[in-house]
Amino acid sequence: MRKIRVLYLLVMVPVVLAPLAAVAQPSGVPPTVKDKAQIEAAVAAQAAPTQQAKPAPAPPAAKKPAAKKAEVKRTEPIVPAYSGIREKMAVIVFYVWLWFSIAVLIYFLRLWIKEADRVYKAKYYEPEESPRKDNPMAPVLGD
Amino acid sequence: MKIDMKKLAAWFDDRLALTPIFKYMTKKEVPQHEHSFWYYTGSSILLFLFIQIVTGIMLALYYQPTLEGATDSIGRIMTELPLGWLIRSVHSWSSTFMIAFVMIHLLAIWFTKSYRKPREATWMTGMMLLVVSMVFGFTGYLLPWDDLSLSATKVGTNIPMAIPVVGKWVTQFLRGGGDVTGDTLTRFYLFHVCILPLVIFAILAVHILLVQKEGMSVPLKDEIAKKKVPALPFWPNFILREVVIWLVLLGVLLTISLAFAPSLELTADLMAPAPEGVKPEWYFLFLFQTLKIFPANMGPVTGEFVAVVLILIAVVAIFFLPFIDNKPEGKKGKLIQYLGVAGLIYAIVFSIWSLL
Repeated sequence: MRKIRVLYLLVMVPVVLAPLAAVAQPSGVPPTVKDKAQIEAAVAAQAAPTQQAKPAPAPPAAKKPAAKKAEVKRTEPIVPAYSGIREKMAVIVFYVWLWFSIAVLIYFLRLWIKEADRVYKAKYYEPEESPRKDNPMAPVLGD
Repeated sequence: MKIDMKKLAAWFDDRLALTPIFKYMTKKEVPQHEHSFWYYTGSSILLFLFIQIVTGIMLALYYQPTLEGATDSIGRIMTELPLGWLIRSVHSWSSTFMIAFVMIHLLAIWFTKSYRKPREATWMTGMMLLVVSMVFGFTGYLLPWDDLSLSATKVGTNIPMAIPVVGKWVTQFLRGGGDVTGDTLTRFYLFHVCILPLVIFAILAVHILLVQKEGMSVPLKDEIAKKKVPALPFWPNFILREVVIWLVLLGVLLTISLAFAPSLELTADLMAPAPEGVKPEWYFLFLFQTLKIFPANMGPVTGEFVAVVLILIAVVAIFFLPFIDNKPEGKKGKLIQYLGVAGLIYAIVFSIWSLL
């Protein structure tokens, strides 16, 4: 049983983390801003009418105009939105994955709960009746 | 190198004295009855508090509590940092969930009368936690420093002015001067990330200690009938059930945070007039509407003063509820039950009215 649990964790952890990593880069743009030009462009992007909640694309080579744009005061609110079919699909896929993962986890938890209830009803860990009375941690950590 | 896990466990057990804690966990039992579901609201609050702390620390890494930097730094979090908008959204929504669950938890305790002897202090610390949670929300609301949050904070910090003698001082202390300025922002940020967390942890520690000391209450009718209520071990039977609830709540939180991420308005202009439709967070709406319905003057005093005094009396009465409702099985107990229902209806109706 313990081996199955470990195996389940080994499978589920990457499954849980993978979509998160995918959503982190919805448009294939690297998540970290690497050079100054990108920083300037991202700041300048705040002046755009409607902002998208994703890293700004790489700017043109000229740096001076970007620096000037950065000083422009923002005139519109920043509203997180998904642009394009790719991002919208990514979100839908994430929802499906999220609730599917939760359903699978709950299924295994229900099995665990049933087993725990059965062990309790059988008084398996009762100090007076249990052969494991010398190990007080047994109900918590297992035998 | 092979690690001997048994020796390692024994080392930790010896140094940290884990055996008594495990023994306690295995002995601790949770009563099972028709109202057991409400027990889960307590641990759900802890889940949301944990999410608040984690996302709050992540946001604090980039947030700048200054007039020039507040809005822009949040803009940067939302547009430049990977998943920054989602972290902000989760932080915002989990605060809403947390306060909602604190309220549900308190109402459940009220209606099941679990505050009765010997759990009076547990109720009082719970009330303190509700107030601190609401102050958390109030201080956090200003941090984006947009027009709406500035105006709402002006209205909110103006309310204590109605209290005689100390009111003006309280307002000045909250604002760091006569008006809401950059000093208020710095002050609110300090409260939000430093003072309030210390306060909430201290009260929470006492609250949890009291819950462990007295155990979970059984229904009043079973206590009167001296009926033995069936129980379930806390570990692992109850905690596993809690994990199921946490997973569902996490799913709901993430779904809502993704679908309804909060936007960022324009930077607040201190010289601009207050925008129309200024409203506080949803959990202050009924208080906001209560203040609005009172006339400007009521005889020798202002209407706002009467409203503030009435609200303070209500808060103090709820705080000392276990002592007021000292015979929960009698007529007075039933009356207080009806008052609780009336108060809930009042809060819902006034909140909706405020939105119209």
